[in-house]
Amino acid sequence: MAYILQQLLQRSAARYPEKLAVWARGKSITYGELESRSNQLAHLLQQHGVRKGDRVGIYFPKCVESVIVMLGIVKAGAVYVPLDPQAPPERIAYIISNCGIRVLVTRPEKRRLLDEATLASLDFSVVMDQFPEQSNGSRVIPWAVLQEYPGDAAPPVTLTETDLAYILYTSGSTGRPKGVMLTHQNALTFIEWCAEKFQITSQDRLSNHAPLHFDLSVFDVYNTLEAGASLYMVTEDLALFPARLAAFIEAQAITVWYSVPSALTLLLLHANLRAEKLQRLRTILFAGEVFPMKYLQQLATLLPHLELYNLYGPTETNVCTYYKVDRELLPTMEKLPIGIACENFEVFAVNDRNEIVTEAGGTGELYVRGPGVTYGYWADLEKTQKMVVPNTFQRNFEEKMYRTGDLVQLAADGNYYFLGRRDSMIKSRGYRIELGEIESALLSHPGVKEAAAVAVPDETIGCRIKAVVASHSGETLIAAELQKYCGTRIPMYMIPETIEFREELPKTSTGKVDRVQLAQESLQQPVMQ
Amino acid sequence: MSTTEQTRTGQSEVRDQIREFILENLAQPKGITSFTDEESLMETGVIDSLGIFRLVAFLEEHMGVRISDEEINPDNLKNLITIESLVLKKRNK
Repeated sequence: MAYILQQLLQRSAARYPEKLAVWARGKSITYGELESRSNQLAHLLQQHGVRKGDRVGIYFPKCVESVIVMLGIVKAGAVYVPLDPQAPPERIAYIISNCGIRVLVTRPEKRRLLDEATLASLDFSVVMDQFPEQSNGSRVIPWAVLQEYPGDAAPPVTLTETDLAYILYTSGSTGRPKGVMLTHQNALTFIEWCAEKFQITSQDRLSNHAPLHFDLSVFDVYNTLEAGASLYMVTEDLALFPARLAAFIEAQAITVWYSVPSALTLLLLHANLRAEKLQRLRTILFAGEVFPMKYLQQLATLLPHLELYNLYGPTETNVCTYYKVDRELLPTMEKLPIGIACENFEVFAVNDRNEIVTEAGGTGELYVRGPGVTYGYWADLEKTQKMVVPNTFQRNFEEKMYRTGDLVQLAADGNYYFLGRRDSMIKSRGYRIELGEIESALLSHPGVKEAAAVAVPDETIGCRIKAVVASHSGETLIAAELQKYCGTRIPMYMIPETIEFREELPKTSTGKVDRVQLAQESLQQPVMQ
Repeated sequence: MSTTEQTRTGQSEVRDQIREFILENLAQPKGITSFTDEESLMETGVIDSLGIFRLVAFLEEHMGVRISDEEINPDNLKNLITIESLVLKKRNK
């Protein structure tokens, strides 16, 4: 059994050196190439001072090199941090600083977006397509230099499965993103469950729709490597155009697809899907948000030959529960369960009396324990202690469990159903968004006195975001200006689509912003055209 | 006005109308206040998976053209220039 992620690659490369491992934008690499290039990168990183446990940022749009870089970093004993290529530079700079990232692998057009101070804080960057140019105060190593390093074996490292492999940053309620720390064991616990449950073989052709900073991509990349299968990456030129995306699924003979439900909804509505064209597709998995039943039912009817699974789990646990869609029951189901725990995970709901829910119909907050659960958030002891808590239900030895903040109900058949959040985290297009982070961004604008972000339900993407803002007296603010300002601090998908200005925001009896009222008001408004 | 001048005015009007629609409805809500005619709207994030369909709906309703699913692709919708080309090509049929 592999205990660190790179062993998945090493084993498959030994068996299938000539096989296509990764494809993106019409370019591909074999297992042999992936193995040797990642070895070279590992040597390069170590020789330039990267040590075990160091965090290395990955900052460029998805391509075949992305997988070389992920594996090269873990082979150096370090921890990779995928950075959203579409996030505002200020957010990237924050993550680099917060995570103590001293090394970046990037492209010139991305690197040039970072400010002087951030670049000066780095030890060096490995830059693709790098032409000799000024180094801006930070050492720049052209990617081409890789070939000078040995590719036949990775440098020796003393990693165990409990060492960190990667850190994924997610929206933070107090205004700044937080880094979820994930070990080799965390990832492999999940991958081993997947390999068994979905019987992934070397004949499979997996798509990778999710960006690499989202944990859905962990399924795609590492299941491929584990099985010696082939990975076909979906890049923006495909993702935005449903007809093209459907053509890609057909042309690349994708066998296993995993994405957020909104991507499937867009394919359903705009790509003229035909079962005959997608005969090779055998399994569709979806996660990240609630799939509107009517669209799921239409999809299931359109593609009768494949299996559909709902997967559930926060980044902190990757996937912890699953439900296989029962086609006989589907037409009459009102709601899809999140299902039962994956093997090697334990989940339970804890009610208001701090008891584990055992009776059908009982509700409570979902907790998760097992080797798939994160140790916590990078450099955030307070948040870690709040969410990764001692397991008080088990007293034989010390262990932790993760509180998801999701309210669930236990059904008679043992399946859990998602009821809602405890707090103000929402999902839009599968993206995790803390309304508090949006509000922090708005409030940081000097003209803004009060701000509240509200989720407006939308049947395609889950929620749209609206903001209600009160400006300081004497200030006239316009929506476009605030939206532009937000764009310098938070990713585009978090920027409020509409902004309503008021003299002041409604308050509760304790003087806090009355979010319930704001939410109710937004439900009554006409749907945006 | 000569025919060539008329055509040119018609052309720049089409481009201006498209630019205005995209600015107000797709760009501004994402915090983007300007873009050039040549810039790739996908790369800058102005057009996302939902925006594409709102743009197509606008072109169909306000420019009087019918756009097929296959024509909704990165070549046609890359930037203001290609979108304008698409509309004019369909109108001149």
